[in-house]
Amino acid sequence: MNLTRRNFMQAVGAAAVAGPMATAGRALAAGREKELNILCWEGYNSAQVLDPFRSSKGATVKAESLTNDPTMINRLRAGETRIWDLINVNNPWARKVMAPAGLIKPLPKAEFEPYFDTMLPQFKSPYRWAMSDDGKDLLGMAQRFGPYSFVVNTDKVSRATAEEQGWALFADPALAGKYGILESDDWNVFGIFMVAGINPFKEHTDAEMKLFSETAEKVFKGAKMVGDIASLNQALVSGEIDLHLTGGTYSVSPARADGYLNLRAVTPLKGPIDGKGGISWIEITSTVNNPDLSPLATEFLKYVQQPEVAHTVAFAEGTFNPVSQMGNKKCFDLFTKDELEAIQWDSLEEEMARSAEYDIVPDYEKALDLMTAAKRLRG
Amino acid sequence: MAVAIEHQSQTVDTSPKGIQVSPGLRASGPVVVLLGLGFLAPLLTVAAYAFATPKSFDAFRSFTLANFAVIFDPANTVWTSFAWSIAYAVATVVLLAIIAYPIAYGLHRLFGKWAGFVSVLFVFPLFVSENVRLYGWVLFFIKNGVLDGALKALGFSGGPELLYTPGAILFGMLYVYLPFMLFPMTLGIAMVPKDLIDAARDLGAGRFMIWREVELPLAMPGILIGMLLTFVLGAGAIAESKILGGQSVITIAQDIEVAFTYAQNWPLGSALALILVVIVSGLALTVLSKLDLDRILGRR
Repeated sequence: MNLTRRNFMQAVGAAAVAGPMATAGRALAAGREKELNILCWEGYNSAQVLDPFRSSKGATVKAESLTNDPTMINRLRAGETRIWDLINVNNPWARKVMAPAGLIKPLPKAEFEPYFDTMLPQFKSPYRWAMSDDGKDLLGMAQRFGPYSFVVNTDKVSRATAEEQGWALFADPALAGKYGILESDDWNVFGIFMVAGINPFKEHTDAEMKLFSETAEKVFKGAKMVGDIASLNQALVSGEIDLHLTGGTYSVSPARADGYLNLRAVTPLKGPIDGKGGISWIEITSTVNNPDLSPLATEFLKYVQQPEVAHTVAFAEGTFNPVSQMGNKKCFDLFTKDELEAIQWDSLEEEMARSAEYDIVPDYEKALDLMTAAKRLRG
Repeated sequence: MAVAIEHQSQTVDTSPKGIQVSPGLRASGPVVVLLGLGFLAPLLTVAAYAFATPKSFDAFRSFTLANFAVIFDPANTVWTSFAWSIAYAVATVVLLAIIAYPIAYGLHRLFGKWAGFVSVLFVFPLFVSENVRLYGWVLFFIKNGVLDGALKALGFSGGPELLYTPGAILFGMLYVYLPFMLFPMTLGIAMVPKDLIDAARDLGAGRFMIWREVELPLAMPGILIGMLLTFVLGAGAIAESKILGGQSVITIAQDIEVAFTYAQNWPLGSALALILVVIVSGLALTVLSKLDLDRILGRR
């Protein structure tokens, strides 16, 4: 080939373009060693949790927090399995939805199962929600959990009354205009079913759906407000409302930590889910079925098991919650008296025992449509 | 450089009868590409999702009118959300036009050296997130809050129960969108030449006639832009109803949000969004076409 000025310049041009491309390609291939992307509920995205991990690994860790499970599952379904390494959602999704759909991959059992033995007794291995349906695969790790039924101002409605009357409080005409509703529509579907005296986690008959719809209309019509956690806590503190559904330790703990111990998450004594009156949640964090999964994903799951980090997760910004690692004395001892009061440690065990665990509602979409229509009747 | 020049002359030489691309079009190329990718592509994706199989991610791969059938089903009450959003947007436009006009007039004609300072007062809140400002109003109106607490301290029985009502939503919208009406309107009023007003006065026109025949028509471009901006923003408002209104009214933006989140139904959300775009742009264009912009802009 004759080297002319033109083809020399072309070669230089090509090299100028190809050089950085090749470097970028190498960086892309090796980059996942130092990169971790987490899709999670608020808390895991806080700097308190992530910064020590970032600096110890010299890694770029990105975490996006969302406040409902369906959106997160949807993101993976829409093709974002290539982006995320870890997904942190409530208990039924890993076992019943994400694993069957191939959205997550199992964890190495030998490495992770021993952690369950140091957790609180109810999480002992094999922990149902962390396992696949056939019981063979470990699908994720458990950490934050809590009861989630409703919250009352005990100066206005005593804890005993609230526990005894349960969800019927929200159908009591005397309390119309005195309660609020959290804007978490997936949890509200559970809550409205409970007010109607129907087990949410089963297939429903037309008559039950009709009752659900009527109850939703009545409950939403009688609500003073529908809002986010901060608004509802503010409304409870100011006296705008005396109680709200749905809610629990997760929602009321920030107000309790600020000294408003008269606000309390309540779990009814009895109810329609095989006699249980409350609903609880347990977060399961799983590795995403990412074709190029970061090796830091499993490292991070081990990192949050450490007593100090587990305590930080429990009291990360936003909401405060019990963690399964409190079964480990080293972790439990890190909680101060005030922190235990904020998360209602005194009644946690009995409230969890009175609660059914969050599950999939088979006809959720139909119920959500009915509830959305009921909400529109507020105006 | 030599290569580049050689290349350019070669192109010109070899295709003298090829498609002539004007320098203007070539220069605007990057902007056109950027707009195409950043503005049109997301809109097209939303449109594609609107015609996709319900509860799927099959945009561009499926075509169905099922999402629209669900929305137009007589049993579906989603029309009330559209109606509320449009009604709030219209009310906001009308009330803000009345509220902002005297302020805009004052900024241009009356406030003198204070005009700059007053403008800053209206601009300053824009530097703070809308949500934070609305939460601030919650603290003002809430029971035992700033208003209620202050009135009680002064011996009154307390403040009005405004929070979590449809009225609170309207208040929030007026507050949030005021600058979007005010500044285009101020510009419009600034466009009115002082000489014309003087001339009208010299010819015997009264104060009202000057306003009606000279000031208002000449300021109309600014007023219309303000109205259009406010209407479009108001029709898509959501924070005011969620934070100040306690969802006492469900707006269409909230229905779209629920479709994309709790309902896991992106195609339905996209169909609702597309209908909103059609309604809002349709109404805006109809109003604009009726107003004869050429005459207003003085081109005739």
